[in-house]
Amino acid sequence: MGRYVVRRLLQMVPVFIGATLLIFLMVNVMGDPVAGLCGERQCDAATTARLKQEFGLDRPVWQQYLTYMGNVFTGDFGTAFNGQPVTELMATAFPVTARLTVVAILFEIVIGITLGVITGMRRGRPVDTGVLLATLVVISVPTFVTGLLLQLLLGVEWGWIRPSVSPDAAFGELLVPGLVLASVSLAYVTRLTRTSIAENRRSDYVRTAVAKGLPRRRVVTRHLLRNSLIPVVTFIGADIGFLMGGAIVTERIFNIHGVGYQLYQGILRQNTQTVVGFVTVLVLVFLVTNLLVDLLYAVLDPRIRYA
Amino acid sequence: MPLDAGDAGDVQVTGPRSRGERLLDVRDLRVEFRTRDGVARAVNGVSWAVDAGETLAVLGESGSGKSVTAQAVMGILDVPPGRITGGEVLFKGRDLLRMKEDERRRIRGAEMAMIFQDALSSLNPVVPVGDQLGEMFVVHRGMSRKDARARAVELMDRVRIPAARQRVGDYPHQFSGGMRQRIMIAMALALEPALIIADEPTTALDVTVQAQVMDLLAELRREYRMGLVLITHDLGVVADVADRIAVMYAGRIVESAPVHDLYRAPAHPYTRGLLDSIPRLDRKGHALHAIKGLPPNLMDIPPGCAFHPRCPAARDVCRTDVPPPHPVDEHRGSACHFWRECLHD
Amino acid sequence: MPELEPEGEIVAPGLTALPLDQAPPGAPAPVAGTTGRPRSLWSDAWRDLRRNPVFLASSLIILFLLFISLWPSAITWESPLKCDLAHAQEGSGPGHPFGYDGQGCDVYTRTVYGARTSVTVGVLATLGVAVLGSVLGGLAGFFGGAGDAVLSRITDVFFAIPVVLGGLVLLSVVTGDTVWPVIGFMVLLGWPQISRIARGSVITAKQHDYVQAARALGASSSRILLRHIAPNAVAPVIVVATIALGTYIALEATLSYLGVGLKPPTVSWGIDISAASPYVRNAPHALLWPSGALALTVLAFIMLGDAIRDALDPKLR
Repeated sequence: MGRYVVRRLLQMVPVFIGATLLIFLMVNVMGDPVAGLCGERQCDAATTARLKQEFGLDRPVWQQYLTYMGNVFTGDFGTAFNGQPVTELMATAFPVTARLTVVAILFEIVIGITLGVITGMRRGRPVDTGVLLATLVVISVPTFVTGLLLQLLLGVEWGWIRPSVSPDAAFGELLVPGLVLASVSLAYVTRLTRTSIAENRRSDYVRTAVAKGLPRRRVVTRHLLRNSLIPVVTFIGADIGFLMGGAIVTERIFNIHGVGYQLYQGILRQNTQTVVGFVTVLVLVFLVTNLLVDLLYAVLDPRIRYA
Repeated sequence: MPLDAGDAGDVQVTGPRSRGERLLDVRDLRVEFRTRDGVARAVNGVSWAVDAGETLAVLGESGSGKSVTAQAVMGILDVPPGRITGGEVLFKGRDLLRMKEDERRRIRGAEMAMIFQDALSSLNPVVPVGDQLGEMFVVHRGMSRKDARARAVELMDRVRIPAARQRVGDYPHQFSGGMRQRIMIAMALALEPALIIADEPTTALDVTVQAQVMDLLAELRREYRMGLVLITHDLGVVADVADRIAVMYAGRIVESAPVHDLYRAPAHPYTRGLLDSIPRLDRKGHALHAIKGLPPNLMDIPPGCAFHPRCPAARDVCRTDVPPPHPVDEHRGSACHFWRECLHD
Repeated sequence: MPELEPEGEIVAPGLTALPLDQAPPGAPAPVAGTTGRPRSLWSDAWRDLRRNPVFLASSLIILFLLFISLWPSAITWESPLKCDLAHAQEGSGPGHPFGYDGQGCDVYTRTVYGARTSVTVGVLATLGVAVLGSVLGGLAGFFGGAGDAVLSRITDVFFAIPVVLGGLVLLSVVTGDTVWPVIGFMVLLGWPQISRIARGSVITAKQHDYVQAARALGASSSRILLRHIAPNAVAPVIVVATIALGTYIALEATLSYLGVGLKPPTVSWGIDISAASPYVRNAPHALLWPSGALALTVLAFIMLGDAIRDALDPKLR
């Protein structure tokens, strides 16, 4: 296992470099890296030239990338448009998005798995058809539409929630945004659980468990669920990275000051340092969660062996 | 209600267990499968019985309904699409098909157990074998997990798995095919049931391992004095271990006889065909006989005798009349209109 | 990637004969010869699809969408750009069944015209992604080696970048009102998904006996790839591409909502939803109609993909 982890970590290096380089190039295409540095005003030509030299922006892109990455590894992510260090923005933004993601993941686990188990056990019955149809609808409605509609209904029409989340972004306030963020994945979790349960329900080892005279409850929990949830757990694990990167839409709708919000601001103000910094961290989160999921897989399924 | 022992002498609730007592009596069992393409009649009025300590072999090609019969008896049929449409399954005199599910569950595993063909897929891949064995004691006997594990080690020793104590925590995929099937056997034996149903227990194994596993099963059956229903398509397996044979074709029993009588002189053309298709050393150089044609489509079983399209001796009556079971002698029966001719052929 | 330990993979002889339909273990195997005509994957799938209400419903919706994309004026009577602030936020009235939006434009007309944009973006992006992805993935899967390894790493890189984020960064500099930058972006970030699928199914198809046989008979690589592998590997690509078409339409709307996708005067559901959201309280209809049209369109493509997959893969039924 130790050797596998090392090998995987080594494999992550080129992917990390590739992804950050790609973003670095994209951002360079995006526009003028110094544009945001003079506050709200446009920089004059002399200042621009001076700043460009100061930041090494007159050098080739690959040199800039190396310098930037070198700085990143010493903990220096550069400066945001308002003069704040990017790391400070991260320190306020990441906990918010992390909370939002936790709420979303909890919804996936509680609602998604429950619905999946219920429908998987009653395949072809009205409950199954109904839930299946509902998941299709949820998958089909883009997140931003779901968000706007829920905000309209719960926040504006019925007044159950505040339409926009306060800067503290406590867990309670994040319930509805978390549900919105989770919605599409929730539907996938339901479908995946359903398929997995329905498949395993016909399996030989479940038949054996019944033939052993185990009570139905034990057959389901000890034998059926234990096997069926392996792919579901790995899906949910891998979803953490996706949700954090995809929270931008939800955060914009509910005015949550998380990662997506900062990135959006960074892009609007063409602040390369903010954008590259945040994306770099997101890519890292994505890669690390994927590695953890693969390791988790081995814990859950003893047949998996790492070579 | 407490009974006065002196007055209750004429009421015998349970008798002593002895060989010859009827253990399982399957009567006129019928099972259907409803599929998108129609209704498949898998079992069409099957009757057979096993006595305590007896080994009955149920023989037939795939699709003859032998496994479905076993699943219906065991109560593990997939419902739907399967459906039991008639018959009785008397276990120690009580009809299993009329029992409440919970009552029936307590019998499963404890009083009648089943061994499946493919041990790899029949064992839970993500649970250590020791836990799967111990589960029998935890659920049916209320033992603690620790005690149950100790019993699991004993059982693994019993079925001669080397280093049982070290391997009790291993997973099914870490064992060889033969060892896995031994674990299946251990699981069936765990609570010393009165009856074991073994569905093709050696078919998935290498030929060399087949004999070992079969010998072990026969030995343990003798030791525990259990009834055994051996479901197989392999006549070779049957000869050594079975007391009686029931031959199935298209969801019916076509012949039932003590094993030696059946081998000496079959009373049904299908049985004869099966026997002729075994390669034999003493008939080297002779062409092997194969039964011509294919088993019937269960959604469209031929009228009359289901075997008539493949039968070399079929006559007009076979195409129209279903042959009833004829008693050949007091121990055997044949569902062939012309069983006499067949017997003396 | 974790790999399944192949040790202990014993295929029981009795099991190989089982048909791949839903016959439960132990159920009687239907005997061959019940249907006389030859059956193939595609003809079987087509037979199933014709009877599948989900397929029929989604096909009808998609045909209707294609029709109004080609001839929006067939069911509308105004220009989507004809707006009159005097009617801003008004509800429905005669000749204006869906009411007016915040700019006083007719919501019905704009919703109908929005279909053209969505369908154009969806179809062109999917075509681009499918062609690029299956060529790259197919070649990598067929030839393997260093090229395959490099391609796999490249797809890893693309998967690590959140799509909406990539869209924000790349499209934020784009000016002009054409659909091309959005389509280009989708092809750029979408091809790895198809490439992985195509690679996987080519590798599977490569191991089939008939491909080995063709190779043993001396068929050339290109002939094997085109004649034997491609027809068998294309099914999963079609399924994924159909579903992806729906998600690209949703992605276009999302990007437009975020202000980096399409720009006015292009008529797009995403733009209209975004524009309607600030005054949703007074004129919810301006948000609901384009949202409903968008959801229905995405739903139709996802259901179509689902139905095709079910028909092509009987095991999943």
